[in-house]
Amino acid sequence: MADPTTAVRAAGGPRTFAWNPALVVGLVMLGVIAIVAIVAPLTMSGQATGIGGTPNLGSAPEHPLGTDTLGRDMLARTLVASQATVLMAAIATGLSAAAGIAFGVAVWLAPRRIREIGLRAIEFAVSYPTMLVAIIVAAILGQGVVQVVIAIAVANIAGFARLTANLAAKIASSEYVSTARLMGVPAHRIALRHVLPNMAEPTLILIAGAFSGALVEISGLSFIGLGAQTPAFDWGTLLNDGLSKIAVNPVVILGPAVALTFTSLAALLVGDGLAAAANPRSNTTRARLERIEGEPAVQDADAVLVADGITVRHGVTGRTLVDDVSFSIRRGEVLGIVGESGSGKSVTASVVGRLLGEGLSASARRLQLGGTDLLGRVPERTLAEKMAFVYQDPGTALNPALILGIQLSDVLRIRLRHSRRGAFGILLAGFRAVKLTDPEGRLRQYPHQLSGGMKQRAMIASAMSVKPELLIADEPTTALDVTVQREVLTLLKRLNEESGTAVLFISHDLGVVRALCDRVLVMKDGRIVERIDDVRSLSQETVTHPYTKQLLAATPVVSVPVAADQDEVTA
Amino acid sequence: MSTTSTETPSAPGPGAPLEPGAPRAASLAGAWRRFLLRRAGGLVVNLALLVLVTFLIVQLIPGDPATAIAGENATLAQVELVRTQLGLDQPVIVQLGQYLLGVVQGDFGDSFRYRVPSLDVVGAAVPYTMTITVVSVVLLLVIGIALGMAVGVATRGDRRRWLDLVFTGVAGVISSVPTYVFATGLVVVFAVTLRILPPAYSPAYDFGTAAILPIAALTIGGACSVARIVRRETAVILEQDYMRTARGWRLPALSLYAKHMLPNLLTTALTLAGIILTALLGSALITEAVFAWPGLGGVIVQAIAIDKDYPVIRAAVFVIGLISLVITLVIDIVLGLLDPRTLGEQRG
Repeated sequence: MADPTTAVRAAGGPRTFAWNPALVVGLVMLGVIAIVAIVAPLTMSGQATGIGGTPNLGSAPEHPLGTDTLGRDMLARTLVASQATVLMAAIATGLSAAAGIAFGVAVWLAPRRIREIGLRAIEFAVSYPTMLVAIIVAAILGQGVVQVVIAIAVANIAGFARLTANLAAKIASSEYVSTARLMGVPAHRIALRHVLPNMAEPTLILIAGAFSGALVEISGLSFIGLGAQTPAFDWGTLLNDGLSKIAVNPVVILGPAVALTFTSLAALLVGDGLAAAANPRSNTTRARLERIEGEPAVQDADAVLVADGITVRHGVTGRTLVDDVSFSIRRGEVLGIVGESGSGKSVTASVVGRLLGEGLSASARRLQLGGTDLLGRVPERTLAEKMAFVYQDPGTALNPALILGIQLSDVLRIRLRHSRRGAFGILLAGFRAVKLTDPEGRLRQYPHQLSGGMKQRAMIASAMSVKPELLIADEPTTALDVTVQREVLTLLKRLNEESGTAVLFISHDLGVVRALCDRVLVMKDGRIVERIDDVRSLSQETVTHPYTKQLLAATPVVSVPVAADQDEVTA
Repeated sequence: MSTTSTETPSAPGPGAPLEPGAPRAASLAGAWRRFLLRRAGGLVVNLALLVLVTFLIVQLIPGDPATAIAGENATLAQVELVRTQLGLDQPVIVQLGQYLLGVVQGDFGDSFRYRVPSLDVVGAAVPYTMTITVVSVVLLLVIGIALGMAVGVATRGDRRRWLDLVFTGVAGVISSVPTYVFATGLVVVFAVTLRILPPAYSPAYDFGTAAILPIAALTIGGACSVARIVRRETAVILEQDYMRTARGWRLPALSLYAKHMLPNLLTTALTLAGIILTALLGSALITEAVFAWPGLGGVIVQAIAIDKDYPVIRAAVFVIGLISLVITLVIDIVLGLLDPRTLGEQRG
């Protein structure tokens, strides 16, 4: 069932940069830090380094954060140290970003052999803690401000290289790059024109994270004595000095601790904000289904399903997606709904199935399934045993992390109260009925071990295992190969005839629908534009709406002769 | 018809008799065998590279390594002593050969300071670091996943906006606090102000009591980072088709989230855990300094900053690297157990 919110968002115009509170607050915080880092050393360095004050003061009016062992004001020292700290982190981040991106692009542009080796080297480097790499560099180069910046820069190169190589590989396989290649654009121009610009967003997010990481790591190295050495000082050394006085004068650690957290938080907010801007969240409302009063449009005494006046609106925009759609399905009948994507056919099915997507609100005059009013409160168990679903893409509709036996038997065990053995027995019988080979073995398999057609047959077996009164099949063949499509259609037809289960069959393909269904509804823009009751004699002459005529003209004739297929299935 | 649709990615399990003409469901034994072989090969290559890196630590010291290691005030005799101890007076290829021979026997040379095999010095510190790291990782994964999942489910589809705001704010701030700052803060609150926990490690305190604050420092920030990621991932998974399938089966909330969502979440969470764990190992090296914790961090800092004890540095780097490699391998095996699709990936 297609997600209408994406369609609405796409209709909202070209993508614009979405400013959000996190990004604004983060940038403002970074701005404050930058100003402090520039101004503080110019105005406060006397207070920060001048010796002669009262040592080891607690919080006092003239020294709100106390003084250190040499009587220097900790507030001034913290503010002055922001220049060294932020500059070191920024330079380290800049160096690693430049080197990492260059390496990543080079690896991607290199011949296949070298690329493989380069990628392996990156994987090797990122599997170690950055701190270990930094310590190795510190062990080689010794301690000091320059060394620690180089150490952290080297340690973070691999992260940038990996992101760049991954993104480049993704973009390189994209259509616009293959087009450019086909047109003979040289590799370095592809990199410059197409690859780099499209990497900007994720790279900026990584830079924000790397800056915060570099800040914490550099200060950490200074904190343990591998970074800035006296008389140079940064937040890490201040924190280390404070630690020795922690028992007597804990206020002195407040300055560097708050400064580190504040800056790190600013980078985190900017990163979050950039990510949110790249992928804006739309407001949604909860799905609602309510009854409206009105003259019934459907009178059908022996129908299994009666759907009268289904209307669906988008919760936020109020756009009507389905407009007053009414139909009924009799026992053993297959009703097809056909229409292009966005016509509202899947949304209609989701209302009938009580699986309406978030952000939609639906109403109907009457929605009744075999004597149960679906507009009222219905026990989950009743829903579970009265209707079942087959979805469009069996590759995504099955849970990749669970074996088939577990996920397909859950409804039998939990909702229909069968024992584990009983449920497996029913499922096995179902697997045999849909002609899955080695049914016992399939129970123990994960979905990825089966082909698409087999997955869809397992799905159908599971759907039929509850003996539903209504089977809702939402484009069950669209994601399958043409030959497999035919098998699945044949199977659905056979199960429908054998069990008498009514089927609501959704498709965009009139050819498929006319081969399977007893009656067909044609939907366009949320309305039913044509009701075809006699599918067998369907032709240009028997339909009235121009859209149906168009559909019909574009459809080759497919026939599923039932008797012949029975043979084919058992062959 | 039945034969056209069998597309089994791995070989049938051993001992499964094949009936002719009837394809059987494949087992995962073959995939596991290939995975373990590939990872074993990767481990050997990584170990070799690690040994090479530790060897190069001394070789790459700018200028004359022996002079640099002996220190500015060293006499010529002391410099020459360092030179012979590290074998720097011999051709590089001979040095490498001797180094390799030693490493294979677990010999990284004697510590300059302690006059005992450097691996022993490092080995004594390993349990201390591993205790706090492993306990923290288990705690932060459990807390982070539970919290992230709970918030993710509670705020799905824009429900409970206030919870969303509170969580985003609190978790963001806490995960921004560097672990060593957090550790210092914990010492101030629980050891200095409340006086209920020891401020630092000392043989006088009970080991368990002394470990509480280091573990808390490493866990809380990390748990918030994990919760932030898990929460986002929860939102993504709730939108997946297979979750709609589960809702279509009308499964109750417990089954829906604990059985159908959690395994998929764990795949992401564990992939992440590998990165977090190695990062945590790095944080632990620094955080140990706050608590005077007698782990690898103290050993390596002392060796680099004060003693220039290169045999110990080499052994420590090797051991920390080895721990990272083993952690990555263990996590990939657990991932394979949870989600066999990851077995086929070209990793490591």
